[in-house]
Amino acid sequence: MFEKLCKLIAEQFGVESDAITKDTAFVDDLGADSVDLMDLSMALEEEFGMEEMDSEDIESIVTVGDLYKYMQEHLDI
Amino acid sequence: MRIIVDAMGGDNAPQAPVQGALEAIKEYGVEVVLVGRGEEILEALKKEGMGELPQSLSITHADQVVEMCDNPATAFKEKKDSSLTVGLNLVKNGEGDAFVSAGSTGALLSGATLLVKRIKGIRRAAMAPVVPTGGGGAVLVDCGATAEGTPEFLLQFAFMGSYYAERVLGRPEPKVGLLNIGTEPTKGTDLQRETYRLLQKAKEGGRINFVGNVEAREAVEGAVDVIVADGYSGNIFLKAVEGAGLFLTRELKKMFLSSLKTKIAALLMKDSMREFKKLLDSNEVGGTALVGISKPVIKAHGSSNGYAMKNAIRQAVEFGRSGFIEDIMENVEYMRLPVRSATGDGSEG
Repeated sequence: MFEKLCKLIAEQFGVESDAITKDTAFVDDLGADSVDLMDLSMALEEEFGMEEMDSEDIESIVTVGDLYKYMQEHLDI
Repeated sequence: MRIIVDAMGGDNAPQAPVQGALEAIKEYGVEVVLVGRGEEILEALKKEGMGELPQSLSITHADQVVEMCDNPATAFKEKKDSSLTVGLNLVKNGEGDAFVSAGSTGALLSGATLLVKRIKGIRRAAMAPVVPTGGGGAVLVDCGATAEGTPEFLLQFAFMGSYYAERVLGRPEPKVGLLNIGTEPTKGTDLQRETYRLLQKAKEGGRINFVGNVEAREAVEGAVDVIVADGYSGNIFLKAVEGAGLFLTRELKKMFLSSLKTKIAALLMKDSMREFKKLLDSNEVGGTALVGISKPVIKAHGSSNGYAMKNAIRQAVEFGRSGFIEDIMENVEYMRLPVRSATGDGSEG
């Protein structure tokens, strides 16, 4: 699932999938803003069938690793 | 061509969108879909003397309305059955070619970005109004969609503004200027200096006709076809131009009404004055294009009347037929900075 997540993030932010690690920070490394993160959250709903993330959840996620952990907790995998 | 119109957006909805739609189908031969509360739209049509729906006009019912007090960032999600969300989804799903709304700017921007989506590779959508200048108008990009810009955003705004001026306004090799406090390359903050360097490079590559920094005064006089700015500065520039226009019009009116002699002069100059007023009238332009979105989206002024809505629909038609979006898609690789390694070490990749 991590690979699929990296691919999705790579597409969203226009970076190489291989370059994304768990330490990659959305704001500092990918230049994301709140709209980007909401866009990503909507893509996660579509791709992984994840429930809608609320704004507090979105704000608490700093790195790709945080997001992966959040997904593991909410997707029951 | 099928234009989706938000029938509930704006101070004069649904009457103004209905009037605009009726005029537009007659004048431009397009199909219009009015999205909103069906009964209210039918009532507005009756007021225009239309007992039944004319050919080329249809209604898609949407129960909710995005209000100005709604959170602009989330309104489209929280009000899934709003005219704004339903309309944007019609465009997203290919059931319409363009979307026009006089509703909340923030909600439209978020909704367009997240539902219709940006063109692949475009980092931020921007608002690109045509401002009146001595050169017959210039595209100002951005005027407030993104308050804090980066050099890459501004590079993309410059390309998009240039394509818009060429394709939609018909300006060959549009002159692109960076809004700044002086013309020397060293002027401005880091943002302007780094953007200058990127735009100069794009010019040397023959990609855009960058003519350097431009001060607000020269921009108004018509020195360029495209004014590139971060949303913050662009918004201040736009509001200053609008304010100056209102001030000038009011002072001229005062002057012409001050004595019998000037009143006679005003009568003699009536036609010229009408032309002058038209130059500064936002209803003539219709609306502001949201550039960087994968389909044409036009934000009409909140106080649009029927005439302004018709012009906004015209703008959507011209935008859709112009090939502007295709231009961006084909050239987006030249609008990007090298990707960072994204490994968290901050090094350039």
